[in-house]
Amino acid sequence: MAVAAPAHANYHDHIHPEPTNFVQKYIFSLDHKIIGIQYFITTFIFYCIAGLLAEVIRVQLLHPTGGFVSNEVYNQVYSVHGSAMVWLVIIPMLTGGFGNFVMPLMIGARDVAFPWLNMASFWMFPVAGALLFSSFLVGAPEAGWTEYPPISLQGPPGTSLWCMAIFLVGVSSTLTGINFLVTIMKMRAPGMTLTRMPLFVWAQLATAMLSMVATTALAGALLALFLERTFGVPFYDPSKGGSPLLWQHMFWFYSHPAVYIMILPAFGIVSEILPTFTRKPLFGYKAVAFSSVGIALVGFMVWAHHMFTSGMVPWLTLPFMILTFFVAVPTGVKVLAWIATLWGGRIRFTAAMLFSLGLIATFTLGGITGVFLAAVPADLHEHGTYFVVAHFHYVLFGGSVFGIFAGMYFWWPKMTGKLMSERLAVAHFWATFIGFNLTFFPMHWLGLMGMPRRVPIYDQQFQSLNVLASIGSFILALSTLLFFANVAYSLTKGKKASSDPWGARTLEWMISSPPPYYNFKKIPSVLALPYDFGEPLPYVGGDLIRPNPQSKFAGE
Amino acid sequence: MAKQFAPKKGIGPGFWPVTVLLTALSVAWVVWLGRTDFATFLPEAAVPADQIDSLFKMLAQMGGVVFIFVFGFLIYLSFAYRVRSGDDVHAIGVQMHDAPSLELGFWIVPTIMVCFISWVSVQIWYGLQQSPGNALTVEAVGHQFFYDFRYPTLWKPVSQELHLPLNEPVTVKVTSSDVIHGFWAPEIRLKADMVPGLVNTLRFTPTRPGTYRIVCTEFCGVAHGSMIGKIVIEPKATFKSWLAAQAHAEGPAPVVAAAAPMVANATHPGGGSAAVAPVAQGDATAGKVVFAAHCSSCHSVGGFDEKLVGPGLGHLLNDPAHPALVTGEKASAAAIAHILHTGYTGPIGMMPNQQQNAISEADIANLTAYLVSLSK
Repeated sequence: MAVAAPAHANYHDHIHPEPTNFVQKYIFSLDHKIIGIQYFITTFIFYCIAGLLAEVIRVQLLHPTGGFVSNEVYNQVYSVHGSAMVWLVIIPMLTGGFGNFVMPLMIGARDVAFPWLNMASFWMFPVAGALLFSSFLVGAPEAGWTEYPPISLQGPPGTSLWCMAIFLVGVSSTLTGINFLVTIMKMRAPGMTLTRMPLFVWAQLATAMLSMVATTALAGALLALFLERTFGVPFYDPSKGGSPLLWQHMFWFYSHPAVYIMILPAFGIVSEILPTFTRKPLFGYKAVAFSSVGIALVGFMVWAHHMFTSGMVPWLTLPFMILTFFVAVPTGVKVLAWIATLWGGRIRFTAAMLFSLGLIATFTLGGITGVFLAAVPADLHEHGTYFVVAHFHYVLFGGSVFGIFAGMYFWWPKMTGKLMSERLAVAHFWATFIGFNLTFFPMHWLGLMGMPRRVPIYDQQFQSLNVLASIGSFILALSTLLFFANVAYSLTKGKKASSDPWGARTLEWMISSPPPYYNFKKIPSVLALPYDFGEPLPYVGGDLIRPNPQSKFAGE
Repeated sequence: MAKQFAPKKGIGPGFWPVTVLLTALSVAWVVWLGRTDFATFLPEAAVPADQIDSLFKMLAQMGGVVFIFVFGFLIYLSFAYRVRSGDDVHAIGVQMHDAPSLELGFWIVPTIMVCFISWVSVQIWYGLQQSPGNALTVEAVGHQFFYDFRYPTLWKPVSQELHLPLNEPVTVKVTSSDVIHGFWAPEIRLKADMVPGLVNTLRFTPTRPGTYRIVCTEFCGVAHGSMIGKIVIEPKATFKSWLAAQAHAEGPAPVVAAAAPMVANATHPGGGSAAVAPVAQGDATAGKVVFAAHCSSCHSVGGFDEKLVGPGLGHLLNDPAHPALVTGEKASAAAIAHILHTGYTGPIGMMPNQQQNAISEADIANLTAYLVSLSK
């Protein structure tokens, strides 16, 4: 047992004792692992609420004349659904949840650089969630997650609560970005050069840069909207000399990079899972690592592709269109590298692997329709329709959420020390995959045939496909129950997990499950990339638990 | 060291047959899509629609091929290299880190595809910029929750129905009187947001007679879902008689000869065509009452800078800033009446038109007299 010595012989001895009282240990914890799990618990609660809101949308759209809820309620429901899924679920789960729990372990650190800041970042989330969901009490925002003025200036009082909630999330996200950037740059184990970092860490690095820079634009835009709504300061209302397009530029300057904040960590998760379950190195490590940074950089220069119909000088659409097309290059490199990784592998179809393969398939489709939307002339037809709804659900559900579930199944044994039921998990994958495609694939066609977004009623001709989509969404909702059943099963009856149940080689698997307080009593040195299966582990020193090469893998 | 699994020979079992199969599927997809006429799913009712469909078709062909190969190889490789029952689970895969030529291909192939798509898209974009629109210009104004259309020869807007002559290049200028609306004609494949204080332009040539939808694609409030207008494309003769009937129904414009294009003010503050017509004689005292009821919530009777929502209207005729700034016309009683009829959207804000303000012709005459009297 490590005991803090009065004078530290070397840095290995600098370990503070673990807090013993419940509140310090589990509530206001400074431990990145506990904070990560706190993120997971809160975001999964938000995921369920926002998911139920989505089901309200799908029930309403079962019939062309709606009728399940009033127009006002419908508008509030989809607005809060979108806002919550983006800001309260996907972003915090991928950065706050996985970033916090996994990233410091992967780089051989004992915690993040600023644990107090980390705790502060987390505690903004429950507050933001309470603000956003309580807006239903006073009239929730109605103008969608984008809240374009001037209509958002007319919105119900809850729109101001929305501003405050998203502002808080933005502050939290910025602070987490700074925290992770410093952690990754300064706290890697000796010998872990940048090009020996696991790919998930690369993804978190690119994401941290994006969150840190882009979120400030959103904060400014939100503050202005709040001031205009509350005190009548005319930023956006054209009848008072404001500009509605100012909001759109500010909003998308954040919200397009935010798409990459939501997808890059999921790419990172896949890039860890594929080597593990093919038992070979990821193809083209450097290409995959640098393409994350490439996507992040180009991602800052494409925001106005959301505004091709909003009104700008015609020639200005061209650079935005072409730069957007070029995002497809680093993204394509990633997808092709993942596929090349499968070649010659020893592939085990665990649930984590299935969700990763599912991500590659569905995200690719979302990426392809992204190119359709980026082409200005085609976008003149597609903008603002269900085609867009289909596209971004393929990216954000088929990409980000599939990545989240892949990561959950992969790191669950590390978080809890228990295994999940693979059988149930595989059933969860297939139900999700089928439900997802049934829900969102028909929407491409609906959009192209003339169904606009954000409508509580629609033309008779669109009913059959809407019913199909709704049935798919019910399957999707039920599939989520399989996941929670698995959580309950694992926590009560799950088998004990070994330190390395999958045969993975990154540092987090070289310590016990769940990891001890302070992770590494002695910090190891890193000699090479972790993915060379068959070679000895590239770690020297430390008090690592080296996996027994003959032990069985979980899920066999 | 664990046993390394290796394919039996060369690139592995089934690689070439699968490649051939996926290539065949791709060719079939490209050919089938190439022969498919998108107009059978959704009519192409105007000229750039075919251009836009051809771009969409090209994207769908390329995207489909990419998807066939990605998805095909994903499934094939997953099955070909899966661990079968009885296999040694500790065997490892081929320890390949990269293959420089293949990796270079991963960068080059998408780059070439993207360059090609950019080239085609820019060409079609350039074609759209060249669309003529010189035969007729109609102004479309979005309101919560309907569309108004203004024709050069009518002084009242036509609500909800946009009539257009067949085979005549038209320009539709769109704006809004309140919040952002969308103007989408799916059968024309064109869309522009109707943004208050801003004018967006669409140019096309209707080629197929019929009645089509105009759909609002930007959330605009509680009845957004039912904000649907109509485009009626009809032969030129039918269109002309429709226009004449509209002119007849509304009667002669009582104050101004023809309403200057409202939205022209927004794009070119100096470009509004002058409306010079004798102004009906009004009563300034009655005008004061109308002003208090309909105007005073937004306008003071002070100087131009004494704004409430709009500018102060106290010295319209002798204040150099106003109303020349608004319409580009010399300040006159006729110009005042003109703005009261048409409303205003432009650099200094927006004002509802006569219908929305619910003021009668007599009210306008009286208001004009009152506002002129204030300047004296």
